[in-house]
Amino acid sequence: MHTSIKTFGKYKDDSIATPPQLSTELCCWLNSVAKQRDKKAFTELFNFFAPKIKRFGISKLNNEAMANELVQDTMSLVWKKAHLFEASKGAATTWVYTLMRNTCFDTLRKMKHKDNISLSDDIWPSDLTEELSDDSEFKDHLLNEKVLRCIDSLPLAQQSIIKGVYYQELTQEQLAKQLGIPLGTVKSRLRLALSKLKQQMGDRDHD
Amino acid sequence: MIKQHPTQAVLRAFIQGDLDPSVAIIVSSHIEMCEQCQKEVNQLTEIAAEKAFEQDIMDSFDPCTHQAFDSSLSKNMIDEIMSLPLDESMIEESVPNQEMYEDIEPAHSEQNQKIISHKDGHLPLPRALSSLDAAPWQGVGKVSRARFQFNDDERRLSLLKIDKGGQIPQHTHTGIEITLLLEGSFEDDMGTYQKGDFIWLDKAHTHSPITQDGCICLTLVSDALHFTQGFSKLLNPLGKLIY
Ligand SMILES: [Zn+2]
Repeated sequence: MHTSIKTFGKYKDDSIATPPQLSTELCCWLNSVAKQRDKKAFTELFNFFAPKIKRFGISKLNNEAMANELVQDTMSLVWKKAHLFEASKGAATTWVYTLMRNTCFDTLRKMKHKDNISLSDDIWPSDLTEELSDDSEFKDHLLNEKVLRCIDSLPLAQQSIIKGVYYQELTQEQLAKQLGIPLGTVKSRLRLALSKLKQQMGDRDHD
Repeated sequence: MIKQHPTQAVLRAFIQGDLDPSVAIIVSSHIEMCEQCQKEVNQLTEIAAEKAFEQDIMDSFDPCTHQAFDSSLSKNMIDEIMSLPLDESMIEESVPNQEMYEDIEPAHSEQNQKIISHKDGHLPLPRALSSLDAAPWQGVGKVSRARFQFNDDERRLSLLKIDKGGQIPQHTHTGIEITLLLEGSFEDDMGTYQKGDFIWLDKAHTHSPITQDGCICLTLVSDALHFTQGFSKLLNPLGKLIY
């Protein structure tokens, strides 16, 4: 017989999923902050996350003042970076967790050592998860076709950069040499091409 | 094919930010090379996040911290945060502007990758090492080392290069020794290791790695090595070199 005993102390995949209603709400608030700098939505996010971040902070930093600082620093990142959150790539809670974890890690290191290197962005690169989900998306046949069509619609100069980097796996330096153009031009074309692709792919997702 | 991975306990400590920085760096470097661990890390992060932000955990477990977050403190913090100047990335997102993109470094991961030269060529380094500088290579015989200049108590993070046919004499450690094989292969009494393999040894282990074709490893050693066979005096410089 199943009883509804809560297993807080343990990792149990099936017992601790965030209720779907809550995760939808969190995503909505994050979107409003990203799009309209919505202060009410941010207040909701703050009220939800702040006490829990503080609790996390106290367990890692053993100090209430520093735990409050962790709340402030993490929530500042939520405010500033809300537009970087993509609901398709993971839960809102996961995104906030990584911001909190990284901030806490760098704080701990700065407490112990004089050098001011922030390592968390190198240790947990934010595009690691994105890369993975991109990979699995790119394996999707339909999407692959979509990407190809988008690439074909780019100006030729940008096409050759994208194809060189992603299909022939050339480095940007190699491409610059091969095409006889400066490295800076390769970089700016790649950047432009990627932003156009992102736009197009995003647009098509909505129709 | 990578056969040696960090244990799940290590991966869990990793995603919770509980590993010592240099251990986190070498674990992160493995994950970058290992699709299997990337998936596991993503899952563990989701689970940890759900646990940390579970709805009713505060009410049932931590009434004091819950109350300590009073409404005036909240209000002050919220006001302060919402008056922060918006940074460029937000502007970039809302107003796509061609000229602006020209100045911004591409987000492509190749961009930040550091490449280190050694006497036989070049090696792209894991991303986790991008903010660290390595001292020049130092060598004894077929073994050379470039140590990262990085403060993490008694832990030493280095690149270790063993040339073709080279060997490190049998030794034990007083602390831990973590090895991540970045290039080439080597074998020891316990097996053969390939690129990407992550080997965590503690003081219970004795081994003497040997390499046919040469290899480069990222190593983390937390204490001096003890050579367990003769010529210890002779080998002493090697022990210091590797540690
Ligand atoms: Zn692995």
